[in-house]
Amino acid sequence: MRTFLSFISCSALLVVAAGPWLRAQDQDQTTFHVKVDMVVLGFTVTDQKGKYVNGLRPKDFRVYEDEIPQKVATFAEGDHPPSQVLENGETRPLRSASSDAATSDGIPRPDIIDLRSSSAGTNVFVLFDTSNYMYRGFVYASDAIADFIRGLDRADSIAVYTYSRNLNRAVLLNRDRSTAIAGLRKAVAGDDSALYNCLLLTLRDAARVPGRKVVIVFSNGPDNASMVAPDDVRAIAEDEGIPIYVISTSEVNKDPISATVFKKISTNTGGKSYFAKTWQKQIEAFESIREDLGNSYTVTYYPQPNPNEGFRKIRIDLISDAAKKYKIRARPGYRPQRGF
Amino acid sequence: MTLIFCEARSARRTFVSLALVSLLAGAASGAAAATANPDLSNQVWQHESAGDLAGARSLLEHEAATPGNSAAAEALAEFLDRHGDAARRDAYLKWASIETDPQKRKLALRQAVLLDFMDAKDAELTADLPRYRAAGGADLAPPAKNRKPNAFSSIVIPGPLPSFARMAALAPDLAPEELLPALARNVVTNGYEASGNEVLQPTEYLRLLIRYIGQARELQAIAGKDRKIVIATCDSAETGNLLKVLGYRMRGSCGGDIVLETVNATRAFVTVDSAFPLTELEQDLRANHRFELAYAPTVIPVLYSPDYWLAALGRNNQTDFMDAFLADPSLCRLYLGLSHLDSMTAEVLRRQTSPAKLKIYAHVLDFFGAMFQVRNGAAVVPGPPRVWASMVGVSPSNPGAFFEKLISTDDGWMASYFDALSRIEGPTAAYLEQPERLKRFYDAVRGKITSPGPARPVFRSSTELMLLTTSLRIDSNGQPHVPGDIEVWRTLFIRHPHGKYDGRLTRSASTWRTNDDLVEALFALSRKTVENEPLKIFLALNDVDRGRAKPISPQLASRLIAGYRAYGAQYVIFASSPSLSEASIGHFLDICAQTSNLHDQSLKADTIGAFQSLVELWGILCRQNSIPAADEDATFAKLIAPFIHIKQETEVFDAGRSGVDVLLAAANARSSASRQEQMVELLVGKLRSEGSAPPSPAETFLRVFDAQRLLPLDSIFLVADRAGKGSIDSKTAKNINEQIARLEETQWMRGSLSSEERNSLSTGYWSARHIEQERKFNLDGVLKNSEKKDARALLAPFLRDSLVGLLYSYYAPTGAQLLLANPTFVRGHDFIGSEGSPAEWHETEISGSGWPESGGGRLMGSLVSLPYAIAEAEQNFLTPKREQALIWADLVPQLIVNVTVNRWRSVTPEQLRWVALHIQRGRALLAAAALDPSVEPPVLNSYGRFATPARVEWLAQQLHTGNFATAASAIPDSVLYAIADDPALKDVSPDIDSLEISAMAAANAPDLTPEAISRAFGTPKPTLTHSYQPGLLYLRTFPALMGYSSRILAESWESNNLYYAALAEETGIPTDRLDSYVPEWNRSTIENIFATHLEDWPALLRSLHATADAVRQHGQAGTSPGSED
Repeated sequence: MRTFLSFISCSALLVVAAGPWLRAQDQDQTTFHVKVDMVVLGFTVTDQKGKYVNGLRPKDFRVYEDEIPQKVATFAEGDHPPSQVLENGETRPLRSASSDAATSDGIPRPDIIDLRSSSAGTNVFVLFDTSNYMYRGFVYASDAIADFIRGLDRADSIAVYTYSRNLNRAVLLNRDRSTAIAGLRKAVAGDDSALYNCLLLTLRDAARVPGRKVVIVFSNGPDNASMVAPDDVRAIAEDEGIPIYVISTSEVNKDPISATVFKKISTNTGGKSYFAKTWQKQIEAFESIREDLGNSYTVTYYPQPNPNEGFRKIRIDLISDAAKKYKIRARPGYRPQRGF
Repeated sequence: MTLIFCEARSARRTFVSLALVSLLAGAASGAAAATANPDLSNQVWQHESAGDLAGARSLLEHEAATPGNSAAAEALAEFLDRHGDAARRDAYLKWASIETDPQKRKLALRQAVLLDFMDAKDAELTADLPRYRAAGGADLAPPAKNRKPNAFSSIVIPGPLPSFARMAALAPDLAPEELLPALARNVVTNGYEASGNEVLQPTEYLRLLIRYIGQARELQAIAGKDRKIVIATCDSAETGNLLKVLGYRMRGSCGGDIVLETVNATRAFVTVDSAFPLTELEQDLRANHRFELAYAPTVIPVLYSPDYWLAALGRNNQTDFMDAFLADPSLCRLYLGLSHLDSMTAEVLRRQTSPAKLKIYAHVLDFFGAMFQVRNGAAVVPGPPRVWASMVGVSPSNPGAFFEKLISTDDGWMASYFDALSRIEGPTAAYLEQPERLKRFYDAVRGKITSPGPARPVFRSSTELMLLTTSLRIDSNGQPHVPGDIEVWRTLFIRHPHGKYDGRLTRSASTWRTNDDLVEALFALSRKTVENEPLKIFLALNDVDRGRAKPISPQLASRLIAGYRAYGAQYVIFASSPSLSEASIGHFLDICAQTSNLHDQSLKADTIGAFQSLVELWGILCRQNSIPAADEDATFAKLIAPFIHIKQETEVFDAGRSGVDVLLAAANARSSASRQEQMVELLVGKLRSEGSAPPSPAETFLRVFDAQRLLPLDSIFLVADRAGKGSIDSKTAKNINEQIARLEETQWMRGSLSSEERNSLSTGYWSARHIEQERKFNLDGVLKNSEKKDARALLAPFLRDSLVGLLYSYYAPTGAQLLLANPTFVRGHDFIGSEGSPAEWHETEISGSGWPESGGGRLMGSLVSLPYAIAEAEQNFLTPKREQALIWADLVPQLIVNVTVNRWRSVTPEQLRWVALHIQRGRALLAAAALDPSVEPPVLNSYGRFATPARVEWLAQQLHTGNFATAASAIPDSVLYAIADDPALKDVSPDIDSLEISAMAAANAPDLTPEAISRAFGTPKPTLTHSYQPGLLYLRTFPALMGYSSRILAESWESNNLYYAALAEETGIPTDRLDSYVPEWNRSTIENIFATHLEDWPALLRSLHATADAVRQHGQAGTSPGSED
């Protein structure tokens, strides 16, 4: 027997756009279709020494939006595939249901995502600065990124974008490491730098991809051509739930403005920033990002009714007393999408 | 191609052209009237104009299946031809086989022959020509395919061409003979920079290219005689050698863990930048597989021989050509100069002058030699040869010596003058080329000091000269048009209210008697790049006066001259709207002056914002014919009247509100809807559900308006009406409070500057303050009047923003990002400018880009050039489909503006058909020129009105050798259209298309007049014509010019909209969907551009063709799955 559960979204606008179907089947496996307004929340938990805390389960934490408790729909740790979270906090696997994501005509429904297949691993978008500012470190940066790509988990997908004044989608999202590295190594050096314009476009691409995704910016900071402000880009990353990691090849004190912007943009989106002038530091930064991805948790939920159409603060509480000493890193909140 | 079918929609009009064509064809050929079925014609037309090509085809095929129904067979053949179907030739043959009218049979077979030639189907051509002859056709014969002696030899460069092209920034689809000219232009433009001691030093671009050539030589040596780089195994000796050349080393020992990493950054950079297959090498090393890479040198055509060019340097043939070429920008310019010439002219010049001597004047030949031409043994000159003989000192009848002297005289000024005159025709040319004027005006251009010449910089510096000769108008009395009268210009030159211009001109002005005196002074100013304001004023007023029923009075001219520096940018409004009365223009200028004097900067910004928005909205509604032409002036007068004495915010509010009502009433808007809905509908139409089609303009509009947190007009007016009365409806209140809350959010969302910092920067201060004030808006307080203020004063800033926002939303291009991402972009518009540099009446400019802490870029200045500024701001969000960044920062915005100003909303199916037929007719004439020697001269003459002699020669050669596809694809559609429309070719080589054009023209439809076609498919030319009114001028494509880069080139490029019209007709886009599809195609065209340099206009054609191919392949939107948005 099949049952259909529906979630009531938090606003009239979301009612139009959101509408997940959770279909339990055969007692043990569930097909989970979502529409794209579902909130995907990634976070990491570290102890007092900064070490990642692994092995948490859904019942170990609570998620709040504007202090309103949320019902977690799926849960995943690291690159493991997500599980459905039951009412009692237990989990069970989602079944693959690519056929269900199509209409009776067999035509794919672009608004519906097969969560299980799409959520395995992380979709990593690397945005590589090929402007004049990176000229001297271009090849070393390319080496470091290639090493990072080689070391990604098999479940992860990778896209390599480059930018100078315009964005260049050098390698579209895929799981073939050779393709990604080959595309990376065919990057053409450019002139001006429009980092924030191109980061915005990268986020727009990432937002269209279901599942967990991150953007890694590799740049030395300066931007002489963007029209969009870093804060506006950051807001979009917050809203879309896309952590931004930044590896800057400049020193913090050499370009304090960019350093500040990088820190802010990464922190507020749940990512991290690294200042790695040397090749070795860049390798270490990538290693840290990889570790971060492998030790993070990802939950999804559909927002409970909330009259706030503005910024909604997200809070994650760990339940046990011991865990309260742990530090949680996640995006602070988001703004729900609006219709017009 | 495969026809693309789409859902049928109801056609608005019926059509009779097929029947008319049949009738006319019969009449033209003296045959009996055709038996075409008008019902069938109308049914087919209704299907086609609704986009239902499948239905139309089915109907025609059904009818054509009836034995002996030649009319249906004809209609089917024409249908298939119109839509580029592969079966069209067979359909013509079938029609011919059943046609009883001999003249029509001949016509059908003639079309089949032309199609055979166009499609390069030699076997079919061989078969169809006898059929055509048997039917009585005697004019066509296959081209002799005689090639002219090839002027090219070749050089060899190391390594593969794609790598070289990447490093040299050459488009990968350049024809072989275009490679060296393109490289030469890049070397001249980007290869050298002056160092501190004025010595030219190679730029990084050139250093990298030279480095690449060095590395390629080393790799070539490794490749050896087999021209193949081979690494047998990971640990072979060759591995180390190769990696050393590439700048890499192995990390880890041979085996699965091996990684290539940089060891020599300089070499490694070249390796990556030239796209050496490093990853493949790494994989083969890792797997211990044999790595093989074909690495052959590349043969490149070189004009004449390498020796010729080396002789120009005084070098012997031991010197490598490429090394010498890259090392000497003068040699590159000589190469460019000679490659611009047709072969006969080049040969004459080469015989006359040694290469070493030519190289001295290579810069002049490069920029101003393209129009040189030798015909019948003499130089072709613009004007009487004897006058040129006296000016140059050598008779044109001695062409070699004449051109040599021309380029060596006055450091290029004379050649520049020659070039400018050679590019024009008609009354202006006739006026300027009169003997007494020819020399007089040259003397004025030349001046006393000739150095530096106009060809010395990397862009032509004689910009204003070209603009003057192109823009000068000649009245019916043969005299140059002078706005106002000569007296007002004399006053300008003598009193020079804005500072001295030129002492000599000031002195001579007092003796002016005729218009020639003024024109002479303008020529004298045209050589200047600064202090030539009177010329700029003249050009602006000339355009203001252009379309007016009655020329402007001396009084108004005098006022416009006096106000030019302060308000000159606003004259675009007057030039765009020739229906404006002098009184209205005067009132407008009064308001400008009074508003500028407002001391309260917030009030000033709100007043100007609301005023300019309403005027621009009025301009849009006039342009879209929403306001009847007869009412334009009265509406304008009524619109601006309330702004005449603004002293407080409440008056701004009332004036803004009144203006909205005036516009809606004038446009006869649907009064049952809200004002906001009425305005949106007037501007962009209704929101449509498009299915798989691109989003409708209304969707983009509404997204932007909402993203900018703007309040609907009605909400603002409702609050004003209910202020102090306690409440408004909950829905409106909720919406307003939400938008205010979202606006409030942007405050902490941004890490904005402190107020001290903003003060210190002085720009954008008033915009920031404006937003701060709005954030404090308290709806509840206003409704309860707890703030004890007139609500209209508090709402005026919001009204200003919403009015400005209507324009921003309207001009948002397809794929807009900035307008969606920056929620205060509209509110941040800076009308005030910085201290001491008022911006309120100046052109719209971008400010604050590329500065992470600035809160993003914003627009500054008036709204008069908002379409271009928004396009400029959004252009970098386009993503080139190939690896090159968009190099045309001055061209791309114009291409965007072409479809954000001209909205494709009132195009009729007949207009689409009309344009498509003309372009097909243009192609058919080219084909006929190849097959009929009597047609060739008039067609090439017609083409010569738009192309240089060298291009005309190239076209002739392509047609002679049967390369029709190459020839036709290299001719801009505006030129094809103009050739088809050339009265001199009207009766030349009649064909299916010309007959249908005649039939349509015979109906005298108002939407098919030249003016209507120009409005429907034209482009705005704010620099060339000081107007955003779309139009077609059929100009020669301009080169890149100093001070404008490629902007004027872009304005003279008129092919895109005509191309899209023909594509829409071919693929069956209903006209009511053009406003969705065309912007998407335009975006694709821009993203497909891969240009080598700033004058590489053929790259635009290539990108158009790529877009059309995608439309044919992927469907009407032309975007493949996975493409953005």
